[in-house]
Formats: sequence, structure tokens, C-alpha cells
Amino acid sequence: MTGHDRIVFIVDDDERIREALGELLASHGIDAVTFGSAGDYIRADKPDIPSCLILDVELPDINGLDLQRQIAAGDHPPIVFITGHGDIPSSVRAIKHGAVDFLAKPFSDADLMAAIDAAIGEDRRKRAERADLGKLRQRYLELTPREREVLPLVVSGLLNKQAAAELGISEVTLQIHRRNVMHKMAAASLADLVRMAERLEIPVTHSRRAGGS
Amino acid sequence: MMRVWSHRPKFLHLGLFIAAYVLGCGFAQSLAIVPGTGISIWPPGGLFIATLVLAPRQSWLWWVLGGCLAELFSNFVWFHSPLPAAFLIYVGNALGAMTGAWLVTRASRASVRLETLQDVLAFVVLAAGVAPVVSATAGSATLQWFAIQSQTFAEAWPLWWIGDATGILIVAPLALVVVQNWRGEQLSTARWMEAAVLALIFLGVAALSLSGYLPFAYMIMPPLLWTAVRFEFKGAAVSLLLLALITAVFTISGDSQFAGDPESQRDRQVMLQLFLAISAFSALVVAAISRQHQLAMLTLRQNVEALRRSEQQLQQMIDAVPVRIWSATPAGGPVYFNKRYQDHFRAVLDGFDRLDKPGIAQLLQELVHPDDTAEVQRALEECFATGNGAAMRFRWREKDGVYRWAECRVEARRDEDGSIAEWYGVSLDIDDEVRAQQALRERERELSQLVNMVPSHVWRLTAEGEPTFINKRLGDFLGLDVEDYDQPGMNRLAGAILTSAHPEDAPVIAETIGHSLVTGETFSMRWRVRRADGVYRWVDSRAEPLRDESGAITQWFGVNVDIDDQMAAQQALRDREREFSHLVNMVPIPIWRLAPSGEPTFFNKRLIDFLGLDVAEYEKPGVSPLAAAIETVVHPDDAARVSHALNHSLATGENYALRYRLRRADGIYRWMEVRAEPMRDENGRILQWYGLANDIEDQLRAEEAIRESEEQLRRLVDALPTQIWAATAQGEPSYLNRRLAEYVGLTLSDLDMPDSSRLQVAIQSSVHPDDAPSVGRALVHSFGTGETFSMKYRQRRADGIYRWINGRAEPLRDADGQIVQWYGVSFDVDDEVRTQEELRRTQERLAIASQAASLAELSASIAHEVNQPLAAVVANSHACERWLTADPPNLERAQRTVERIIRDANAAADVVSRIRALFRQSVETRTGTMLASVVAEARSLIAEEATRRSIRLDVGIEDGLPPVAIDRIQIQQVLINLMRNGMEATSAVIGDRVLAMRVRRAGEVIETRISDHGSGIAFPDRIFEPFFTTKGHGMGMGLAICRSIVESHGGRLWAENNEPQGAVFVFTLPIQAKAAP
Repeated sequence: MTGHDRIVFIVDDDERIREALGELLASHGIDAVTFGSAGDYIRADKPDIPSCLILDVELPDINGLDLQRQIAAGDHPPIVFITGHGDIPSSVRAIKHGAVDFLAKPFSDADLMAAIDAAIGEDRRKRAERADLGKLRQRYLELTPREREVLPLVVSGLLNKQAAAELGISEVTLQIHRRNVMHKMAAASLADLVRMAERLEIPVTHSRRAGGS
Repeated sequence: MMRVWSHRPKFLHLGLFIAAYVLGCGFAQSLAIVPGTGISIWPPGGLFIATLVLAPRQSWLWWVLGGCLAELFSNFVWFHSPLPAAFLIYVGNALGAMTGAWLVTRASRASVRLETLQDVLAFVVLAAGVAPVVSATAGSATLQWFAIQSQTFAEAWPLWWIGDATGILIVAPLALVVVQNWRGEQLSTARWMEAAVLALIFLGVAALSLSGYLPFAYMIMPPLLWTAVRFEFKGAAVSLLLLALITAVFTISGDSQFAGDPESQRDRQVMLQLFLAISAFSALVVAAISRQHQLAMLTLRQNVEALRRSEQQLQQMIDAVPVRIWSATPAGGPVYFNKRYQDHFRAVLDGFDRLDKPGIAQLLQELVHPDDTAEVQRALEECFATGNGAAMRFRWREKDGVYRWAECRVEARRDEDGSIAEWYGVSLDIDDEVRAQQALRERERELSQLVNMVPSHVWRLTAEGEPTFINKRLGDFLGLDVEDYDQPGMNRLAGAILTSAHPEDAPVIAETIGHSLVTGETFSMRWRVRRADGVYRWVDSRAEPLRDESGAITQWFGVNVDIDDQMAAQQALRDREREFSHLVNMVPIPIWRLAPSGEPTFFNKRLIDFLGLDVAEYEKPGVSPLAAAIETVVHPDDAARVSHALNHSLATGENYALRYRLRRADGIYRWMEVRAEPMRDENGRILQWYGLANDIEDQLRAEEAIRESEEQLRRLVDALPTQIWAATAQGEPSYLNRRLAEYVGLTLSDLDMPDSSRLQVAIQSSVHPDDAPSVGRALVHSFGTGETFSMKYRQRRADGIYRWINGRAEPLRDADGQIVQWYGVSFDVDDEVRTQEELRRTQERLAIASQAASLAELSASIAHEVNQPLAAVVANSHACERWLTADPPNLERAQRTVERIIRDANAAADVVSRIRALFRQSVETRTGTMLASVVAEARSLIAEEATRRSIRLDVGIEDGLPPVAIDRIQIQQVLINLMRNGMEATSAVIGDRVLAMRVRRAGEVIETRISDHGSGIAFPDRIFEPFFTTKGHGMGMGLAICRSIVESHGGRLWAENNEPQGAVFVFTLPIQAKAAP
């Protein structure tokens, strides 16, 4: 479990809590970086490795829940809320907005660590997804404009003949384009290509039936 | 010889002469019928005389030679005389001819025309009488000497004389007529007829008479004379020639009465010659008389003609001249009116032509203006009566009924004996003249009035300078008239000067006037004239000469203008000017003046002393005076700037103000502040520029020093780690030090906004919106009253963060105590304030929590405060456990973790003790407070709840309560607790729900009573015990805490039952605070 392939960010205005959590995570062999306020956290440089954010609800500058809402738009580490009050409405709100856990102070070692493990695992998964999608996008960008026109027609399930007619090109030419698309997108099969198109959110422009009738 | 040659007649004439001479000799020879004599009529004599008379005297020699030649030839042919005798005879003939011709020309003096009786008589006497005497004498003598034909002198001489005379009488007139009238006037047909008839009669009579008895021969006389009368000289000459020829023919033929026997021949010869001579004489005389008569008649006719023409001209002239002319008889009866008169009469008088010789009186009546009639009548009558001429002017009616002025002059013409022969009159239209004269008179009168009325003194001198006129005003002024200047022993001018001029001015005047009189130059001078009352007054006297057409001076006209006041004013002005000039030169400031063009026109003495130059001393050729001045006196570095500014001012008329360096006489440049302003006339046109130069060298140095010291001070102020500002007496910020400016991120200029003062902008932009109104009020209060400003407020830092500031401002006052300036400092006390604020907020939170009396909230708050360290303790404990259970155990970190656990646990304990301390405050936080304000605050805190519960709050506070030393929050807590308890008790009441509160002084304490009308208190003593509660909920802590608070303030809290129902909670607070037990 030890290693520096992950990191935990701790945001709490109470220095004692920061010290204590840092110490606890250190005892578990997990790197932790602490911040006294939301502003410090936002401004800080954060390493691009799987991470998790332990966030106090009551902060001097911005409320923890508000911070959660602010950073929701971008890629951010999964959040584990901690709070001294632990009122139900706040916790519900936090979980609904995607927080991994909501712990009331004082919390047990096991609860915290479980939440951290879950959060980091989630982050890992999200990162992998993001990386795959990035590659896919890169491949898509390498397609020629004509190939980008061919791709939606193919994934819509049109026959080569139909697709060629659609674009006003010969079937042979279309087949060449289709082969190039498959090759460039590194798709093993048409089904693979269809999945990729879904992930790239390429709209299906033609249904086979519509095209066939 | 040459002279003779040059007067040679034409050979033709000479030849003709010689031929005629020879023929004449032949004729004479043929008539020489008397035997033995050879003497007869001698035609050549007449020819010779006529020729010499006609020929110029210088050519006579030629004619004499020609005659000599002809006679000698004739002698050779016919006479056969010995040559010497012939020559001598010829000499006699020639002498006779020359004598006759000379005498005739002498007598006639002009050309010999034989047209007057005088001429004819002279010719007959001299040529035919005297000349033959010479030739007869010479010829007779020669005949006798040579004894030719044995004739004696006495016998030959008469024959000779008569022969020559007859020849001359017959031939000379004929020759003259032939030569002179060769191309005479042509005769008319009638004359030719007459001449022919006469010729026939003449020939008949001649034939008849000459053939008969000798006395009958004279019958020829009537036709001869008739011819002479009718045809004058020509007729006479021709008739005589014919007569001579006829006679000769008859004589030669012997039929004539003159032919006879030789004895009687001689007598007959004589008779013949006499007959011819008498005939010739008579015919010539009659012809001459006739001629003379004819000439007289002709002259008379010409005279009459000339007279008539001149009369006609005169008449035309009279009618043409543009005047009316008339004449009258000596008695005055009109005789003649010229055409203009008559035209006038016809035009004016109807039917003038029908009037028969209208009388003068009648015409006057009709034509002359009624006003003038009598006068004219009288004048005319007088004129006719006395015989003196008259001249009168009257108005005369013209054809369109208008009257025009006319002048009539009447003069008498007198005959030799002085009696009046006729009256002549002329009338001239002088209307324009009269009107012009009238206008002139009018003008003259006006002019005269003007001269006397003009408010000037007008006078006149003759060309020699003698005063002849002074106008009325001058007369009144001087109190005398021009005649009063006549002084014995001097001329009038000198008298005038002596009388009227100031003695000091008199010589100058005399000299000046004398000069003007001599040269004709305008006289102009100022002098003092003596007024009638003896006061001398200054006058400006001017005189101009009046000249006639030739340029000669005829008069001098002069005016005097009283300029005494002006002179006095001028004198005053001059004095002032001198004073002013003195002043300008004495003021210790250089002053100068420029012409509008920029040319320097004046430097005062100071400036001259400073520059060492006067206005004109820097002039350079080819450079404008201004440019030259600038180049000379202005520092080269400033010259362009000065030139530009000055030219700008000159062009626009804007004031000129500039600082620059001027060169002093010693060559040192000194800073000057130079200002100039234009002086304008009424039209705004610039007349002059006036400028002054201030030496500001020392001032500049002083300013420089001040600026430096100021700069130092400013740096100091900016360097001080304090925010400093200054404001005007009215409170407008006038300075922010650098720290303040940097702190708030504003400069003074940022505060300048339209529509609001700097102070407002400063407060709005730098003070926290919550504090702005109070800061503004406090500042306005201070600026208004002069009280020190001191306040804590939040100020916006440049980065937008508000920080607490302790601002103070004090006025700077002058000697009179007037505020000159406000100086303020601001200290950033944010950290302190925040610390205090933190503390206060914590207290407040707790206070509010307890005030709210919701123990659930209180406990939640307490729980949070405790949970925080507890959470740390728990986490640290887990960590510690892990460090200890690790293999190998990390003791160092475990130890550290334990230390933290201890610390955090203590913190939790502190929290608990702090909560306890809330209810047992130390005395330190107590301040002297007006209880009334605390009550008011509590009331406002509870008001909303009271309204919700429909409870009326009835608060009564005694006036003039002294302050008490209390912990405001705690007492407020007590009040709110008690009031809320009361309200809860009152909630059950139906009807008027009132919660009453009374604060009053009771001896050394202030007593506060809170009474309700609730259900009252069952156990007034027990309710203050902890955890004792009568309510359905609650921890039973409230009243216990309240009692402990009040008691900690040295007061007491107890409860009573209210009458008729309800409860009363009373607490007292000592006026003098006591230390807590």
C-alpha cells in the first residue's frame, strides 16, 4: 500500500485537525498535503496523480459545500467531507453532488481510511477513462475530413453502397475510406468502432431502415 | 552801265516804240504842208512823253536812244536835215519830252490816268504847254543856226511849239489810254450801238465841217464833246485820233479849209494846229469832267449801298441781342420796340398787334408788377421831365403769368445843341441775378448772425493787420469794441495787443502776427487775453488769410477759443504726468512699454539701470526692435520661449506673464517674472503694452530652498510607516502620503469626480459601505465643529480587502484660532481589531446562543467547540496507535502524536471551562454603561418575538440614571432571559398581554422589574436552583445562570408574585461597581 502513487489533500481551518489527519495518513503511509482554506487549495499546484480531497464543511473563506460546487465543473479529486456539526441536510447535499463520504467529527480511523481508499480508487478509474478518451479523440482528429464524413455513416449501419450514394462517391472509394477509418481509429471491428463513436459522442445520423427504404 | 542794261525795256516794246516814232515822223512830214517850214503837228512828241510817263525813269536812257534812232532814221528818210541839226533837234525833242514827263509824273504823283480834271489840266499845262517850250526852243534855235529852210527862230518857234503841243495833246492821251486800258471793260451792246452811231455822226459832221469853211470846222465840237462825255477819255482819244486823221487826209488832199496857197498855208497850218489843239483840249477837259462826274456818282452809289447794309446789320443786331430795346420821343411817346419787346408784348398781352401804338403808361399798367408800377411810373416821369437818364428795377410779367425781375435803363440822345432828340431804353432780365443777390443777402445776414452767435471769438484784420471787426461775443468778452483799440501814437494792431494781451505775451504776439502778415502763413498761438473784468484767460488764437484770385491777401480772419480751463487741466495733467513719470522711474520695479507692434517705446529708469541700456540702444540693422531687444537682454535659453509668448500675446491681446532670465548690465542673468497687459481704447484696440519685470532671483532661490525642504519633509512623510493625509479647513482632502495612496490604491486626482466632493469620493471609494455613513457623519461633525476626529472603521485596501483602520484627525489652527488645515493619520489596526472582533464574536455568538436560550443550539455550539479538539484527539490517537503497532514502532512520531493528544484534550477542557466562564465573567470586561441603552437593545432584540406572540412591551425607564459598571452582554442575557420567561408565561393569558418593565433608582442601586400577568410562581425561591424548571422543555439552567450573573455584578435577583396574578422578577445593580466575589 505504501508508495507515492497517490496523494490526499486535506482542507480544514483547524490546524489541530490538519496535523492530526496528516499524522494519521502518514502512519498509513499515505502522502498528504494540508490547506488552511479553500483559497489555498485552489491556488496550490497539485500533482497529476490519483488523489482524494478531505474537505471540512466549515471553512473561513468559502463553505466546503460551495467549494464542491465551484470545482464540480472541472476534473477534481473525489471529495470526502468531514464536519463538526454533521447535520443531515448538509450531508445529503454533499453526497448528491458526488461526495464519496460524509464523516462527522470525531470519526474513526477505519471509516476515514475506507473513504479515502474508495475515493482514490474512483479517481484512478476516472483518470484511466479520461486517458482512453483522450487517445480516441487524438485518433479522431487524425482522420481526414472525408473520413470524418464516412465515419458517422458507417457507424449508423449503412451499407457501403448506401454510404457511397450518400456522399456521392463510388463504393470502391468509400471502402478505401472505411478501411482507413478503421485503421486510424485502431478499431478491431465495426462494433468496436461503434463503441468508439459513442464515446466520442458522434451522433448517428442515419438509421439503416431509413437509409434502406 | 550794268544798271542801265538791267533796266532795259523789252526789245518788242522798244521796237514798237521806234516803229511808232518813225510812223509819227512820217505823219508829221505828211502834214507839213506849209512850204519851207517842214514844221507841223509832231505826234512823236506825244508818243515820247506818254512812253516816258509810263516807263520807269531808269529806263529813260533806252527810250531816248530808241527815239534818237527813230528820229535819225526819219530824218534820213523824210526830213533830210543835216545830221548835227537833226541830232540837236532830237536832243531838243528828247529834253522836252523828258521835262514834260518828269513834270507830269511829279504833278500827278501817281500813275497818270488822266481821269480827273486836275490830271488833265496838269497834263495839258505841263506836258502840252511847258514841254514844247523846251523842244520848240531847241528846234527853233537849231533851224536858225543851221539856217535850214532859212527860217528864223521867231518864225519857227510858235509853229514848233503849237505843232509839238498839238501832237502831245492828240497822241499822248491816246497812247496812255491804249497802254493803260488795253484790256479795259467790255462795252455793252447798247454802248457799242451808241459808239457806232456817234462814230457815224462824228464822221459825217467831220466830213461836212472840214470840207467847208474853216469856222465850220468847229461844228465838230458837239459830237466830239458828246463822245468825250459819253465815252470819256477813250472816246475823246479815239475821236481826236480820228479827227486828226480826217484833218490830215483833207489837208493832204487839199480839200480841207487848211489847204490853200502857200501864204495862207502858214496861217492855215497854225489854224489847223490850233483847231486840233483846241479840239483836243476841249475834248480832254470834257472827258476829264465827265470822268470825274462818273467817279463821283459811283462813289455815291457805293456809299448809299454801304449805308443800307450797315443799317440792316444794326437792325439784325438789335433784334438779335438778348435785351429789350425801345426808343421814345423826347416827350416820352413810344417810337420803337425791338423784336424781343414785341415778342414779349405779344406773348403777354392778348391782341397786342391790334393795339395802335400803346402808350407807355398803358404798357406799364399791363406788364409791371402792381407793387412796382407806381415806382416805375414815377421814375419814368421824372426821367422825361428832367432829361436825366434813369435806371430802375421792377418785376415784369412774363407770358406764363410769373413775374421776373428786370432792369430798365433809359438814356437820352441829345443833338448838337444839347436838346433831347430821342430817348433810348433797354430792359434786361435780371431775375436770376436778383434772386442770387437776395439769397446772397440772406446768407450774408445768416453768416453775420452766425459770426456773432458762434460761441467763439471771431475777429478780422486787414491785410496790413489792422483790426476791423470783432464779433459780438468777443466784444462782450473784452468789454470793448474794435474802435477802442485806436490809441494815439500807435496803429490799431499795436493798440489791440497792448490793450488785450497779457504783458508777457504781447511781444510774442506782435512778432508772430507780424511774421504771419509778412509771410501769409497761418497765425496760430496761445496767449492770455484780458477779459472785461481784468482777468487774463488763456485762448487759442488762429487766423487764416483770405486771398483774392491773384493770391493777394485781402483779409485775415481769426478765432479765439477760450482754453483757459483746458490749459489749467493740461497744467494739472502735466504736473501729474511729471509726478507719474517720477513715480515710474522711482518705483523699484523695472517698467517698460511696447508699441502694439511690439516695438519697445519706453524703459523706466530702473530698467535702464538694470539693463544698462535704453530703449533704442540695442537696435540692430535688419532685425525688428523687439527681436533685437530679446536677443540682447534675454538669456539665450529663454529667448525662443520669450519671443513665442510675446508674439502670441501681441497677436491675441492676451496678457503676458512669463519667467525668464534677463541680463543685468554686469552681464549676470537674473530670473525675472515679467508681466504685461495691453491698454486698449474704447474700441478695444490695443494702444500700448505695459509691462513690468519683477526680480525673482532671490525669491526663486528661497523657493528652491523651500521646495527642497518640503521635498525632504514629503519624503519623510511618505517614508513614515503611517498613512497621513491632509484636508482643507472645509474638509476637502488635499494631500495623501505615499503610504496612504498605495494602501488605498488611490491618488488625490482619483478623488476628483464631477458632482461630488473629494471627501465624499474618498469615503465612498475607500471606506467600507457599512462604515461609510458613520465615518462621513463623524468627519462632517469634526470639520464643522473643529473637534478631533477619531474613529475605527474598515478601509478598503488596494487589493479590495477591507481592513480595520484607526483614523485620527486634528485641525491646525492659525493665530486667530481659525482652522487652516486638517491633518490626519490612519493606523492599520486590522489585526488587533480582528483579534478583538474574534473574541467579541465568540462572546457574542455564545451570548446570542444563550440569549436565544435555545439550549439545543447552545449545546450544539458547545459540541462543535468540543468536537474539534476531540476529533483531533481521536485521529491522533489512531495515528499513535499505528506508529506504536508498526514494525518497528515509530516511537518518535508516536510521542509527538501523544503530545498533540494531550494538547488537544486540554483544548477541549479549555472550551468547557470557557463556557463556564461565560457565566462568571471577570470584572475586566465591565465598563460604565447606561442601563437604559442596554434595556433598549434587549427590547429591540425581543421585539420581533413579542410581536409574534402578540405581546405588548411596556417599558418605563427613569430619567437621569447614572451609569453602572456592567458586562453589557451578560446583563443583556439576563434581561432577555427574564423577558422571554415573562413572555412565555404571558402567552397563556387571554386578553391584554402585557409585559411590563420598569427601571428606576432605589438608593445606591438601580432596580429593574419585569412583570407579567402569567400564572405566577409557585416556588419563588426554588426556581433559581439549577435544573429546576417549570416549563415543558428546557434544561432549567436559565434562571440559575441569570442569578449568578447578577450576583457577580454585586446585585441581587429575586422573584415575587405579581398582583392580582403573574410574577415579578426583580434585579438590582449597584451604581458603584464592586469586585466580583
